[in-house]
Amino acid sequence: MGLLRFLAKRLLLMVGVLFGVSVIIFVLSRGFPGKYPPWVQYLSSLSSNPSPVVIEQIKAAHGFNLPLYEQYFFWLRDVFSGNWGISVWAGNLPTYTVFAKRFPLTVELAVSALIVTLAIGIPLGILSATRSGKLPDHFARLVSISGYSLPVFWLGYLLQLLFAYYFKIWNLPYLPSSGAADTAFIGTVPVITGIPVLDSLLEGNIPYFQSAFAHLILPTLTLSLSLLGYLTRTVRSSMLEVLRQDYIIQARSKGLSERVVIYRHALRNALIPAITIMGLIFAFTLGGVVVIEYVFSWPGVGWASLQAIFVNDSSFLMLFTIVSAAIIGLSNLAVDVIYGILDPRIRLK
Amino acid sequence: MKSKSLPRVRIAYTLKILTKNPLVLIGVIIATIIVILSLFSHVLVNPNLANSVTFSNQLCWGNHLINWGPSSTYCRNNHFYFLGTDYFGRDLLSMIILALPLDLAIAGIIVTSAFFIGLSLGSIAAYSGSFVDNIILRITDLFLSIPALLLALVIAVVFGPSLINLTLIIMVLWWPIYTRLSRGQILAEKEKNYVEALKSMGAGDLRIIFRHIVPNSIFPLLVQATIDIGSVILIVSSLMFLGFSPAQNLPELGNLVSEGIQNIYSAPWLIIFPGATIFTVALAFNLMGDGLRDLLDPRLRR
Repeated sequence: MGLLRFLAKRLLLMVGVLFGVSVIIFVLSRGFPGKYPPWVQYLSSLSSNPSPVVIEQIKAAHGFNLPLYEQYFFWLRDVFSGNWGISVWAGNLPTYTVFAKRFPLTVELAVSALIVTLAIGIPLGILSATRSGKLPDHFARLVSISGYSLPVFWLGYLLQLLFAYYFKIWNLPYLPSSGAADTAFIGTVPVITGIPVLDSLLEGNIPYFQSAFAHLILPTLTLSLSLLGYLTRTVRSSMLEVLRQDYIIQARSKGLSERVVIYRHALRNALIPAITIMGLIFAFTLGGVVVIEYVFSWPGVGWASLQAIFVNDSSFLMLFTIVSAAIIGLSNLAVDVIYGILDPRIRLK
Repeated sequence: MKSKSLPRVRIAYTLKILTKNPLVLIGVIIATIIVILSLFSHVLVNPNLANSVTFSNQLCWGNHLINWGPSSTYCRNNHFYFLGTDYFGRDLLSMIILALPLDLAIAGIIVTSAFFIGLSLGSIAAYSGSFVDNIILRITDLFLSIPALLLALVIAVVFGPSLINLTLIIMVLWWPIYTRLSRGQILAEKEKNYVEALKSMGAGDLRIIFRHIVPNSIFPLLVQATIDIGSVILIVSSLMFLGFSPAQNLPELGNLVSEGIQNIYSAPWLIIFPGATIFTVALAFNLMGDGLRDLLDPRLRR
């Protein structure tokens, strides 16, 4: 099957998955008006006990009285008109605007965590495999298994306590514990990409960059420590398997140095399985940002989705899940394509 | 895998792995201690402690071994609390011990049921035609492409936070992993020569599946299940932490952390120790699962 047909088939499947995801979230958030009915965000916060008349008015005005499938078509209309609904809790703005403003901040956090994870995980995995069964291997094993045993929220608070609170008490240089940059910069500096670290560099605003970078450290550390384990373990086991292959024995018997054998011959093949778990890592990142953004008051889409959950803002939740599902789907697709390119033995099915 | 002498070889091999891998041994020991502690928690600690209030010993640290900084206080009258007290004056160590059985029970129920749902759907998918297989696969795709925590939160908001709901929610999220895993295992096992041999000897389909293929492909699932005990405890406590605790005083590890946050600077121990317990439990099961994987992975045998 040609690459184009493969891509077309997979993209079509993905559209199906996205449709399914939107239906699941829609039915869940609109179909069961329990403790947090979907019209709750339209109530003014002052009236803690709204009269049934007011609720009926709101339901009629915003279409919550209609059958569920009709509501879904109204949502689809909002999607195609580009605003994806209205998020009342976020200042009565179109949901798309609310999302688009926060999304770059989540991207900043996720990308920096991925970079750190790759930069630590791959060398640690190699070390673990080449010194298999020895002290460095046990150390790497402990680090990576600890990584995926850590409650992310706890790690976040622990780092905050140590680097923000106790370092301040001990008169050491301390790090900020919440937000994406100092409040002084918010609203006063022009927004180019929406990513503070990039924006500040593009404008040449050094204090802004320092502030944005300092704010990024703790959340990045939290997220990458929780991602590190999967990558290290995968690199280790695939490296171990590659190192046992005949061509490696042959390379060694040619008299090549261990460095060349490992980095020039083994690593390239050992990284293929590591690439395949990138889809999984993306999925974990997107789940992790919800908790991490909450712990660090990071104004991205993860924290916003948590706020949206408590007012049952179905349009925001659907946009968030659809984008997450699309990212996971696309990264899995990219992985399959890269896999085929790197390893010609695997044909795309 | 049908030879009679194999179990003894396995035991010897298990011991070898354990001695070669001190970390696995540590995991087994910690997990045993935790299970024993949680079995006897109601004997060790008065279960009514969760509802008791002693404001005279509110938020104080019970020994002089650690100095928590200027905003924290020591307990009056030199009252000794091993891990300090919480907002209601309850001994934190006792609360942690009280919380263990609940977390372990929830995790055990979720993993066991996800295991069996996944195994049955996976075998159906692997054995039935491509139509049913495709339907099951697409459904797992759907579930695996929504961030699990987010879906859990949405369901929890909609159906209200109760222990039963939380258990059901995570169960709904967890079966796709086992379905995928068992389907792959069974598909690979189905193609092996011994299945062909069994068929040629006239063994029935059901006998081949349940007596031969499932036992031979179940070990990777068991490894996954061991690791998942840890993962489920993490996700349960995350949900409780994010505010989906059914009751305010519920002794549950994530809930304890969440309750400690209001006093994070005056009583940091309220966050540190319950969280450290979650970490230790998850770590023990993950270390065990990791050792099991080495044990069962023939490629790693020498």
